[in-house]
Amino acid sequence: MKRLLIATAAFALLTACGNTTDVKENAEEQGVQKDQVVNVYTHRHYEPDQEIFRLFEEKTGIKVKVINASADELIQKMKMEGKQSPADVLITVDAGRLSRAKEQGLLQSISSEILERTIPAHLQDVDNQWFGLTKRARVIAYSLDRVRPEELSTYEDLVSKKWKGKILVRSSSNIYNQSLMASIIANDGEEIAKQWAEGIVANMARAPKGSDRDQVKALVAGEGDLAIVNSYYIGKMLNSPDAEEVETAKKIGLFFPNQEGRGTHINVSGAGVAKHAPNKENAIRFIEFLIGEEAQQIFTNANYEYPVLESVEPVQDIKAWGDFKEDALGLNKLGEYNKKAVLIFDETGWK
Amino acid sequence: MKQAGSNDQAFAFKSRVKRFLRDANKWSVFTLTIVLFLALPIIFIGVELFSGPGETWSHIVKYLLPDYIWNSLYLVFFCSLIVLLLGVSSAWFVSRYEFPFRKQMEWLLILPLAIPSYIVGYAYAGIFDYGGTLDLIFRELNFEFIRIDIMNRAGLAFVLSISLFPYVYVSARAFFLNQANNLLEASNMLGVGERKTFFKLMLPLARPAIVAGLVLVLMEVLNDYGAAKYYGVNTFTTGIFRSWFSLEEPETAVYLSALLIIIIFALILFEKWQVRKIKFTSSKTNNKQIQRKEPKKSRKWLIFSLVFIPVFLGFVLPVAQLIYWSFLTASTVFDIQFIFISLQSFGIAITSAIITVFFALLLIYFSKWSALRFIKNIARVGVLGYAIPGAVIAIGIMIPTLALDKWLIGVLANFGIDSGLIINGTLIALFYAYAVRFLAVAYNPIESTALKVDNSIPDSSKVLGVGNLKTFFKIEFPLIKTGVFSAVILVFIDVMKELPLTLILKPYHIDTLAVKAYEYASDEMVMEAAIPSLFIIFTAMIPVIFLNKLLIKK
Repeated sequence: MKRLLIATAAFALLTACGNTTDVKENAEEQGVQKDQVVNVYTHRHYEPDQEIFRLFEEKTGIKVKVINASADELIQKMKMEGKQSPADVLITVDAGRLSRAKEQGLLQSISSEILERTIPAHLQDVDNQWFGLTKRARVIAYSLDRVRPEELSTYEDLVSKKWKGKILVRSSSNIYNQSLMASIIANDGEEIAKQWAEGIVANMARAPKGSDRDQVKALVAGEGDLAIVNSYYIGKMLNSPDAEEVETAKKIGLFFPNQEGRGTHINVSGAGVAKHAPNKENAIRFIEFLIGEEAQQIFTNANYEYPVLESVEPVQDIKAWGDFKEDALGLNKLGEYNKKAVLIFDETGWK
Repeated sequence: MKQAGSNDQAFAFKSRVKRFLRDANKWSVFTLTIVLFLALPIIFIGVELFSGPGETWSHIVKYLLPDYIWNSLYLVFFCSLIVLLLGVSSAWFVSRYEFPFRKQMEWLLILPLAIPSYIVGYAYAGIFDYGGTLDLIFRELNFEFIRIDIMNRAGLAFVLSISLFPYVYVSARAFFLNQANNLLEASNMLGVGERKTFFKLMLPLARPAIVAGLVLVLMEVLNDYGAAKYYGVNTFTTGIFRSWFSLEEPETAVYLSALLIIIIFALILFEKWQVRKIKFTSSKTNNKQIQRKEPKKSRKWLIFSLVFIPVFLGFVLPVAQLIYWSFLTASTVFDIQFIFISLQSFGIAITSAIITVFFALLLIYFSKWSALRFIKNIARVGVLGYAIPGAVIAIGIMIPTLALDKWLIGVLANFGIDSGLIINGTLIALFYAYAVRFLAVAYNPIESTALKVDNSIPDSSKVLGVGNLKTFFKIEFPLIKTGVFSAVILVFIDVMKELPLTLILKPYHIDTLAVKAYEYASDEMVMEAAIPSLFIIFTAMIPVIFLNKLLIKK
């Protein structure tokens, strides 16, 4: 009993001390070292990113402090923190969330010649509030045994009767599906987009569930013939520590749809400078570093994403899929039509 | 006539006011203060209700709500069934019989809780998948592999039950161990058989304890997000996230949360109504621990295997899968930092467990000492936090703490101090959030043991002139120690694996194991999440074993 009390008291004391030092540290960091920090709110939870941050710290002496959470939560957090927000940079894994942050007044326009010049126009915000860092394509994986690539053509063609009960795709709560849908709304109009969703639901091999990797596994297991997946997951499967996953990924082909027309739907992982960034200059330097050669090489080598910097070659695994024509739709549109896309998903019963 | 009627009413009202003034004491005020403090985030969320749902509300009602309700009810029903079966039976066997490895089983049965449910979900998917563990084993043996699809509603009910049944086990066992002995002896002396004693005597008596555990399970089932999302089952909680983030309507998300809270509140009221007239206080002389029976040898092994089933499904199997994945990913993922992060997680978890249990004790006893009846029901409002998704709580926490921070910044600016955020982004906000979120986890096991302390014991102490506090420390605390220790373990484990709240509120320089695991899992790197998950499990094992020893000694 006594011992328990003592233990409790000790813990209380410890935490009390812990807290006061925290506060002091914060104050110090904000006061004295103001120029040496960049606070990053990021949705990219990839190990290679840590390496890039380390490189940036070594190069510039600016310390990178990271908060990891989903983009939605980070946006909410920034909104609530308002002027006091310590965030300098917001990084997300899709353009839709970035344009949402912009709409809510959480980002600011910056002028950086390097960013302006390096990043293709459709991959950056019209008001220079955010910039794409890496690209990923939403492609069609097909069974090498059961499907000939000549049978495939466009996203729109997936609703044709021949694919009844053959299509594997994950839930509509996934942002990559929402962005694909938004791009179809932007390109084809709402009416056609709705018919498309209805057609896909009618052709689904099973109720949507699991991750993109799970769609590929189900494809190879024979549950369906086609799967709508993100390109970089296939890269990851091909380099998985699990030999079984590597085997699985080798049993599928990748098809880049809409090559004759507008091109394959792509999305970016991107970054923007926070409206109330306490370290704006550092934030800009940080983003510029992320589209530099070194960082871009790591993005593609370790994470199998397409670099936005043209001088950087994509890693061998994804280069093997060949060049493709990408949909040049301004990615702002993805944010604009996101909500509409979700409403259509619900109405057509795409879970 | 009419006048008489209104006179009566006036009289009734006056006497009510009188009674209120007579019964209200400082403890009532204290209780209200604490409830207010802990319910503040929930109240802030509740206030949003008055602004009405967003414009997509009718869309949700039309297309999604039936599915949410149906799936949630399905989960509540089947999880209750499985959890009761596993939790109560294992608690009874472990308390009543002597069998091989009983001592190890006692704490192994708590450990399924230490694995975050979504990780259990991933592990099971990994076992049953194409190219998964079972598939590989079948291939080795040259058998035709029949792929069982676990990623559906039934599979989700199974996964959640198998990872949450220890809540029922812990509270039922606390009852069997410490309260059941006299009645058991009496029943045996009267020649009543084992089976009949269990079903006719023990089960009804243990009901409040069992139900308390079950309510915790159901709250957690209803607010599960990770596993439900992965298994493609749409529930209230996935709906909350969808309307908040995908539909960009926080108001609608709050509306759904409120509906969820109403369901939980109904469950709690149902429990209260069930036990309304029954007194469960124990007889005065009984504090002897249960006497274990020595069954025959063959029987012993039968009991062992029955108890081992939940341990195997909830712990051994998923952990084996995680260990297998850890070997595959060790070279890329393992980092000596994990040990440091483990220590950090441990410190945060144990501190917040103690803080939370402290609040629970305050609430339970202050409301007891307050003579006002309705205060007790108000105290229960404090436990609602457990039913609300962590991300929503985090927002509820940020509203008042940011307001306070901004006020403090203003005040300090007068003195020329530029302070920045003082509460947000520090451990204070995090501990506060954990207390709000996990109060129920501490409250229920303590309350169910406190219920069984006969009021006449503290009452006679008070008649003799000993104060409330002294009586508590000298007499009541030793009697409810089991409940308090169980509460500390449970909150500790919950904090260890807590996620959305931690992500949003944690300070920059603090990492927890759950955060590490999530960073991998959220990007479909499930295998890489195995190592941090294993660290969570091993760190959680330490207090489980340690406190379990305290529980049993005496």
